[in-house]
Amino acid sequence: MQAINLFPLFLSLKVATIATICALVVGLPISYYLSRSNNKIGDILDSLFTLPIVLPPTVLGYYLLVLLGRSSPLGRFLEETFGIFIVFTPTGAVVAAFVVALPFFVKTARAAFASIDEQLLNAARVLGRSEWDIFFAVVIPLFWRSIASATTLVFARALGDFGTTLMVAGSIPNETMTMPIAIYDALLAGDKKMANILVLIMTVVSIALLYTMKRLEKRMIRGENDAVRRH
Amino acid sequence: MLYVAIKKTFPHFQLDAHFTIQNGIVGILGASGCGKSLTLQSIAGLQQPDEGIIQLHDRLFFHSDKRIHVPARHRNVGYMFQHYALFPHLTVYENIAFGLKKWPKKKVQHTVLNMIENIGLKGYEHHYPHQLSGGQQQRVALARTLVTKPSILLLDEPFSALDHHTKQVMEQQFFSYLQQHFSGIVLFVTHHLEEAYRLCDELILYDRGRVIQQGKKECVFHEPDNVQAAKIVGCKNIFPCTVDDRGKQLVCSVNGASLIVPAHKKKNKATHMGIHSHHIRFVDEATCNAFSFQIIRAVPNVYTYDVTLQTDHFTLQASVSEEQWKHIHNKKVYLPPEHLFLLFE
Repeated sequence: MQAINLFPLFLSLKVATIATICALVVGLPISYYLSRSNNKIGDILDSLFTLPIVLPPTVLGYYLLVLLGRSSPLGRFLEETFGIFIVFTPTGAVVAAFVVALPFFVKTARAAFASIDEQLLNAARVLGRSEWDIFFAVVIPLFWRSIASATTLVFARALGDFGTTLMVAGSIPNETMTMPIAIYDALLAGDKKMANILVLIMTVVSIALLYTMKRLEKRMIRGENDAVRRH
Repeated sequence: MLYVAIKKTFPHFQLDAHFTIQNGIVGILGASGCGKSLTLQSIAGLQQPDEGIIQLHDRLFFHSDKRIHVPARHRNVGYMFQHYALFPHLTVYENIAFGLKKWPKKKVQHTVLNMIENIGLKGYEHHYPHQLSGGQQQRVALARTLVTKPSILLLDEPFSALDHHTKQVMEQQFFSYLQQHFSGIVLFVTHHLEEAYRLCDELILYDRGRVIQQGKKECVFHEPDNVQAAKIVGCKNIFPCTVDDRGKQLVCSVNGASLIVPAHKKKNKATHMGIHSHHIRFVDEATCNAFSFQIIRAVPNVYTYDVTLQTDHFTLQASVSEEQWKHIHNKKVYLPPEHLFLLFE
């Protein structure tokens, strides 16, 4: 048995982290907008953002290839202007994980934002705050718990993506091979021992991450209560 | 001066409000869903009317023809929401300081702490809204608004979230505090009759999105103009009638009975007449406006009886004191002419 190569683990963590940050930045305004709008555009956007949950990962990967490949206008533009290559690169893995995981953020956060008391927003408005300001001073602090759990969900989904990543980023060892793909690879090669170890690592890491998140969340709640109890 | 003339159409409702307020505490009274809150929200800039004008002193808030719609955050309007809308994630201090974002820090601290002391919540600076009683929450909401030095104060059912007992105490405190610390126009929305009468100088009556009467509270309560206004101010005795002007007095015939009404109460196109249930008296001798009656139903209240009477011509609702109730038998019901009023449709 060869020495265990931990590259896939680190790549997976890196990809999932970047994808989660992107999903947070992009997902927050989108989910807030969707929770506020009740027109047709909102409905169309909503179904569009739910699509990645419904579509098979391979279909999603195929779309990304068509959209961002070297023969597509967008792909060529990225390549010629910024020197960014998407297909068969770690960047591609980030894009794949991002697209797959974003809907989970939007769904969770949107549901939370929809429950906001409109009068609180109105109160902030008459007190002189702009909409942008209200989002950061009222909406996010009120819903940070939902946002945190949405983020955890996104990270978990991004960490575990297989199909779309394989389609877009491929499985180049030490370059684009993420953990789930490495496990599949080991199994295909008949290296059951390796597969077992990788699966074990993946499981432990996932449990550790989720547990840490849970603890963090609890500590923050307790911190809030402490602030209350101080006086 | 506040000038409001706005229209806004919804699928099943139309707001068409028009009034001018010079100064003082003005109550908007009407059933729920008659557009009272909508009017407040329009003044505050939280709703945009379809057309019309809203002007406070010399400042145009809204003018549909000139395409002016000042956003809520630039109107400097004080608004107290029905359930106070305190920010649950912020402390008392942070809530009150919320509207002072652009002030220097030192000044904010000084002003807010001063305010907290003023409303008697010293020591509660770091409490969260859910740790406060209803009355305390209300004071925080008022402080949060007043601290921004608003040019007008809008109160949306400020006492509806309090229980009956707290309410009585709070009302007096609230308004004496308000009179000390605020000198502008106060517009106060309520569906509660007695509350409006106790607290306001002037009243505006709303019915289905329209202003149906405006005036000094005594006038509006004792002499409503029209049938809807009479219903809103709680008049339970409204009868269709025909009026015969006999110079010195008016004779109104209600279902065959003749009632004398003083001549100065004459109104054009009067179709109804009314009397408040607490103005109905009982007398021994037979005079004009007195009728023999039967008691149909008597519901005991805390200090009075709500009595339904049947005369030969009409049915009356009377509010009778316990003392009167004991001696009601063999008497005649008397409708004092000075308390009768004529109404148009």
